[in-house]
Amino acid sequence: MPSITVSYRDLCKLLGRRIGLKKLTRHLLMIGIDAEASGDELKLEVAHNRPDLLSPEGVARVLKGFLGVEIGLPRYKLSAARVTVEVDRSVKSIRPFIAAGVVTDVKLTDEIVASLMQVQEKLHTSLCRNRRRGSIGVYDLDTIKPPVRYTTTLPDDISFVPLEFDRELTPAQILREHPKGIEYASIMQGWSRYPLLIDSRGVVLSVPPIINSESTRVTSKTKQLFIDVTGEDERVANQSLTILTTGLAERGFELRSVAVRYPGRRVRTPDLRPRRHRLSARNANEFIGLALKPRGIAKIAGRMRYGVADIRGDILTLLAPPYRSDLMHEVDLIEDIAIGYGYDRLEPTLPKVVTTGERTPIERLSERARRVLTGLGFMEVMTYTLTNPRTNFELMRARGEAAEIANPVSEEYTLIRNSLLPCLLSVLRANRRNPLPQRVFEVGDIVVLDEGAETGARNVRRAAAAVIGEGAGFTHIKAVAEALLRELGIAHEVRPIEHSSFLEGRTAEFVSDGKSLGIVGEIHPEVILGFELEHPVATFEFDLG
Amino acid sequence: MDLHAVIDGLSVHEKKVLLTLQRLDGRAGVSDIAQRARIDQATVMRAALALTQHGLVEMREEKSSRAVLTREGLGYAREGLPERRMLVALASCGPELVDEVAARAALKGEQVQIALAWLRRKGWAEFLKREDKTVLGITEQGGAAISQKFADEVLLERLAARGHRVDEIPADLREALNTLVERKLVGIEEEARRELELTELGNQALALGVELVEEVSELTHELLVSGRWREVKLRRYDVVAPGAPVHPGKVHPQQQIIDELREILPEMGFVEIKSNLVESEFWNFDALFQAQDHPAREIHDSLSLSRPERTKLPSPALVKRVAAAHERGVAGSTGWGYKFNIKVSQKPVLCSQTTAATVRYLASHPDPPVKVFCIDRVYRHEKIDYKHLAEFYQAEGIVMDPRLTLRDMLGYLKQIMVKLGLPKIRFRPGYFPYTEPSVEADVYFPEKREWLEVLGAGMFRPELLHPLGIRYPVLAWGIGFSRLAMIRLGIEDIRDLFNNDLEWLRARRMV
Repeated sequence: MPSITVSYRDLCKLLGRRIGLKKLTRHLLMIGIDAEASGDELKLEVAHNRPDLLSPEGVARVLKGFLGVEIGLPRYKLSAARVTVEVDRSVKSIRPFIAAGVVTDVKLTDEIVASLMQVQEKLHTSLCRNRRRGSIGVYDLDTIKPPVRYTTTLPDDISFVPLEFDRELTPAQILREHPKGIEYASIMQGWSRYPLLIDSRGVVLSVPPIINSESTRVTSKTKQLFIDVTGEDERVANQSLTILTTGLAERGFELRSVAVRYPGRRVRTPDLRPRRHRLSARNANEFIGLALKPRGIAKIAGRMRYGVADIRGDILTLLAPPYRSDLMHEVDLIEDIAIGYGYDRLEPTLPKVVTTGERTPIERLSERARRVLTGLGFMEVMTYTLTNPRTNFELMRARGEAAEIANPVSEEYTLIRNSLLPCLLSVLRANRRNPLPQRVFEVGDIVVLDEGAETGARNVRRAAAAVIGEGAGFTHIKAVAEALLRELGIAHEVRPIEHSSFLEGRTAEFVSDGKSLGIVGEIHPEVILGFELEHPVATFEFDLG
Repeated sequence: MDLHAVIDGLSVHEKKVLLTLQRLDGRAGVSDIAQRARIDQATVMRAALALTQHGLVEMREEKSSRAVLTREGLGYAREGLPERRMLVALASCGPELVDEVAARAALKGEQVQIALAWLRRKGWAEFLKREDKTVLGITEQGGAAISQKFADEVLLERLAARGHRVDEIPADLREALNTLVERKLVGIEEEARRELELTELGNQALALGVELVEEVSELTHELLVSGRWREVKLRRYDVVAPGAPVHPGKVHPQQQIIDELREILPEMGFVEIKSNLVESEFWNFDALFQAQDHPAREIHDSLSLSRPERTKLPSPALVKRVAAAHERGVAGSTGWGYKFNIKVSQKPVLCSQTTAATVRYLASHPDPPVKVFCIDRVYRHEKIDYKHLAEFYQAEGIVMDPRLTLRDMLGYLKQIMVKLGLPKIRFRPGYFPYTEPSVEADVYFPEKREWLEVLGAGMFRPELLHPLGIRYPVLAWGIGFSRLAMIRLGIEDIRDLFNNDLEWLRARRMV
């Protein structure tokens, strides 16, 4: 879950009232925001689908409705700014979209600047997928002379001073030298021209999605903001801009729209008109398990910051605020009604859904195997299915094929085991300082590659046991294996075989209906020593089904 | 303790020592008792310790030094001191050359030197000049000594008979002792003498009667069939004494928690299903309405596979419906609005959520009622540390039936926790990509005195259900299995869920 840090004091200021910290966190929890306080600082965890809550302004806006401080649809006055963005044809193939807006009458404090940077960063990592789908730039409008051109440049054709630097760099140099350039260079891979935002005098605003220019930097003295979001996804660009601008409106700043001129198309951004949604009261009641009247639902909707355009019989027409990008279906509205009603007020009910429960046969069989083997004094171990070729094959003196991980975290875990035996030997190795004899078993899944299987591989449930030290001989381990097979009712024959992990002449195979079930025998000395053991080991392993 | 029981509990040796001590007037040294009872000293000591513990005897220990002849001393005690032998020879032959006298006295080499030195020191003989030769002659003192034993010789004789405690040696022989010690003919040995004495309780016990009966330590087949078990006495054991521990074979602690859930859920009418460890992205993500560019699908979140290379997709019609739900939405939804890529759906991935299994089941069981659960391993792209595992268990289930509600979902969550013995539960909104409404539940753990989040649940989104042809609400719940297991097992390090140290496993009590 994305998290943000906000100031408790600032939150209260935005709410327009003081509210006890404990009460506040309780309310936040009931909206779905997990809060952890330390001093004035509140760490808030916000749901992935609510990027509008990634700022203190957004959180305050929701809280206002929940607490009844300000209910219904937030209204935004939006007049046209005398700023135009002209989009060059050349951006189309690399980063085709831009949304832009202007905020005036701003009074910035360091706190607000910090919060603006935070929401920008959080939107970048979540909604904008690490700037790939969209990237945000915020500038001091008074340092820019519109119209602004959204165009492209050759990597070395222009130079400017990027943020946090004191000398001019070309975009190509920025990708090599600037920390942000290094971090996001992969997005530009394969591009012959780079996106560029530049004003009518040729002052560079930014090279999206990497870095702004130092000369257009926002300071606490800034009076007007110019905000842009460029990206490969127009929806994401518009959503991000809406979240940013409506958030600033909560501070009492004025919003102005910008004309974006694409070749052959003109749009005005941001678009802050509410979206209309239909909600059936019956559906809401059926989903949640309540019997609310349409008016009651309308009231709750108001507390969740919806406007109610109309109630006709069972159907409510709700007006959703423009920053709610998460509403895809009526169920999303219904959840908001449940939250507005209060999860803590929902009484649990237990329906009668008559079914007969049962465990799956393989787990019943596994449990019986566990009972037999623990009864024989063996200790159950549980090991990882993740392994590596050295443990799974080389140390076992075995060859074979196993499912391979494409993006392993470490060299230790690059395969999925196709046998339990290497896992048991690894357990013995980890226990080599503990007293002997040791008797261990595992009942667990392995994975075998199978071209015929739907996913190209199958799980196989296996049982395996190992003895080291006294009793680690063929006769004993075979007796144990046969006791298990007998108790599980698995009819079988025994045949001598040879296997590179085992001692010649002391290895047998269990066969059932001509199919090999598994193997039993004394482990080969090279394998024993390979696992850093110094005593004889006898094992068996077979399929449970 | 009853004195009869004490007597009854005594071993044969303990009884023998007690009886012997009585015969030796209630007080004797260990060696004397050993001699008298014809058992070895170590056995007497063991018995004595047991009798002391019962308060029947008291043991005293005296440290003393003993004068004992050395080997050389023992030889001289038999044959006489060399100077004495020289004196005797000299008395019979008169003044003579040293070699001559020594030959008569049957002394050789070093012994001659010793004899000469001591003859001079005791003043028994002297060298005389006779016809240019130096001969040995007897002195007056020597003459007197012939018929009289010196103190060192007396002591030597006595010590030859038996060793003496140093403090037993009379004062007039003390100087002789020093001389003999100096001559290395006598050694002083430190000795601990242990003496036993009957206590009052011991006398009472003897008065009650202590009988010697044949005692055996184990009941044997022979004793049973011969009937001799009636005659012998089975030795009583010290049943309180700690013995070597034995350890049972046990089910792994984590498995015990899994088993607990596997017992509870069928009781609630849930049928168990299994998951595929290797799953397709289609079932692991697409079918769950997780957009193909969802962060959870990124390389840093799930483990994808290079082998197998590709999975088979289900019927093209189903894939098409799922793709449509993603691209433009179904059942009144707007969808995600991106271009669905069927190649991504085919990619194999290590199952990252057991929901893949429950949704597969739903797809093939569209008719209500459905109540299934799945407890299996899932995988994440995580570095293993005390808080994270790359593979771990998930426990989850679904209920499908007409007219199910969010409140019913809460009811199921509460019932599961009541069955686990954790009845205090509270609910709050949550977020999962494929459920709406979603709920998270905190449960109160008395052992931790804390509310902890252990359940996540919700109703499957219509965008998930519609393509699968499900027309009824589906409740889905998941238990934070690792957290529950850790609290149940009282462990702090998540890696201990897979701890296989045998000493650790042995020491853990079953849950």
